[in-house]
Amino acid sequence: MRRIILLCFAFMLAAASALSAQNDLVDERILLTFIPNVQFAPFYIGIEEGYFAAAGFDISLDHLQEPEVVDLVAAGQASFGIVSGEQVILARAQGRDVVYVYEWFQQYPVGIVTPSAAQVKAVDDLRGRKIGIPGRFGASYSGLTTLLQSAGLSEADIELNEIGFNAPEAFCLGAVDAAVVYVNNEPLQIRHRAGAGDCGSITDVDVIPVAAQADLVSNGLIVSRQFLDSQPDAVQMMVSGFDAALQTAIHNPAQAYLASLNYVDNLPADADFVAELQKLSARQDLFLAAGPGPEQIAASRQAMRQTLAAVFDAAALTQFEVLLATIPLWEAERLGHTDLASWQTMRDTLLLMNMLDDAETELEAAFTNRFIQGSSP
Amino acid sequence: MRAIRPASAPKKNRRPNVKHLRRLTPLLTFAALLLLWHWVVAMRFYPTFMVPPPAAVLEAFVEALASGLLLEHTRATLEEMLYGLLFGLGIGISIGYAIAKMPLLERLLSPIIVAFQATPIVAYAPLLFIWFGSGAASKIATTAVIVFFPMLINTIVGIRAVSPSLKDMMRSLNATPWQIFRHLELPAALPVLLAGLKTSATLAVIGAVVGEFIGSGGGLGYLVTLARNQYDTPLVIVTVLTMTAIALTLYSFAAFLEWRLLAWQRRASL
Repeated sequence: MRRIILLCFAFMLAAASALSAQNDLVDERILLTFIPNVQFAPFYIGIEEGYFAAAGFDISLDHLQEPEVVDLVAAGQASFGIVSGEQVILARAQGRDVVYVYEWFQQYPVGIVTPSAAQVKAVDDLRGRKIGIPGRFGASYSGLTTLLQSAGLSEADIELNEIGFNAPEAFCLGAVDAAVVYVNNEPLQIRHRAGAGDCGSITDVDVIPVAAQADLVSNGLIVSRQFLDSQPDAVQMMVSGFDAALQTAIHNPAQAYLASLNYVDNLPADADFVAELQKLSARQDLFLAAGPGPEQIAASRQAMRQTLAAVFDAAALTQFEVLLATIPLWEAERLGHTDLASWQTMRDTLLLMNMLDDAETELEAAFTNRFIQGSSP
Repeated sequence: MRAIRPASAPKKNRRPNVKHLRRLTPLLTFAALLLLWHWVVAMRFYPTFMVPPPAAVLEAFVEALASGLLLEHTRATLEEMLYGLLFGLGIGISIGYAIAKMPLLERLLSPIIVAFQATPIVAYAPLLFIWFGSGAASKIATTAVIVFFPMLINTIVGIRAVSPSLKDMMRSLNATPWQIFRHLELPAALPVLLAGLKTSATLAVIGAVVGEFIGSGGGLGYLVTLARNQYDTPLVIVTVLTMTAIALTLYSFAAFLEWRLLAWQRRASL
């Protein structure tokens, strides 16, 4: 009896201590864009695997439009947000003092998808074609403008058609000849539809990525200047936590997918698929313990895909493939590092689009690498 | 008894002042709102990029007007709205009249009608966009769908409210169905139909703008999206106020129609 009482007491003490540790965490919300999606796996893994907690944060996630993310961060109503680089330049030009502190996507994820049968192999082949775009704003428009400019073309050389975020539908219905898309997402969805015979006469697609033509600043972590100046330690802790989570997602996509299941509705996850992912994740952990190089890790990711493809159909695999296609966009020698040249290219694109008036925009104040591992303070 | 008359004389003089004051009420409300807005800005409850001062919005309005930006997008929205209204009202009145006359049709269609009416337009606007394409047709369809239901319901209610005894009387006078419609049903249902028109007129703005938000290259919904993405909050407010002005103008026009077309009703009640 005495032993039971002692055990109960020890349990209560442990629970109280855990609760107290939890209470020490600072509640923070990170504002993301789009909707819950497997592409946000680093955030899910950061929460599920305790990277944010180890950094001292109890994180919640919200999904908003990019301008709302910027405004709430700039106004101090949220400390952290994720937006693309051009939003930072535009917002700063309109009086929002936000600073980009970690470049999450190292490659600009926008590109143009065309039917393979159309034989569009270079940007110049787009001349005279009807191209669908969500609207004349945001990363898609910046990406398209950069692509066209790289081939000496302008908007007048194509027929631009605003189709909202309905590229797969408009593309498969033949309403457009090509569409500006996120290279890691829509092309896979379109291929999946085409494979199922549900994309008109289209059987396969080609993609021209913007990243192949120019280095633009893509999605990254932002804070307000005031927050950065007053709480640099908090920024440092958040960057470190996210950096660790991102590395894990890159190294072990099976684990990243499993972490996403609690956050993304309708993610394919039948029991067999989850069991296989758990097996692959455990095997990947053992493989990583041996200290493989980046090429070996990339090969291991493809091996994971092949293992799953041998057992599961395309519908079950699509979102895992989206994750696999996204990982190369995150990878870099120095995760999180951003460079001035890409900001200059981005600013020049915005000037070309007449979205920015002042060529003298002070770009150096728009970002910092001081929180990145290995950077001098 | 006559001694009361002198006392009522000054009352007669006061009436025009009250009338003038009543006319000024909306202006006073507007002025109060402006003052409140100015106060919110002055107290710095929000940064000016979130709540810009009225002067900045006025400046953005003048700029957008002078550059032709506002007129261009207003025209696009107006076109979509007016075509949508025409289609929506036409179809709503036609089906509403048929349902009012044939209860079997109501039993057949009411589940679909209720289901559509209960679903927010933003939920199925993306489907209309896919079905009708990215051009004006999808916005016209969204507008037509949103104005269809109030008109349909008001037509059913209006036509069914016509007194059966009056219909019997018309029939006893050998009136044709067209004569019954023209001289009895239409005038009797007109107050309810015009009430439906007033509701539809304001909803038409919502329909067109929702369609533009889903995907568009022009219109006030598009201009709001564009201005938000350029962090131009004053232009967002200018565009929203323009939408409000259009809705108010259409509502006032419908109210004016009601006042003119139902003049006989006022005369009869006197």
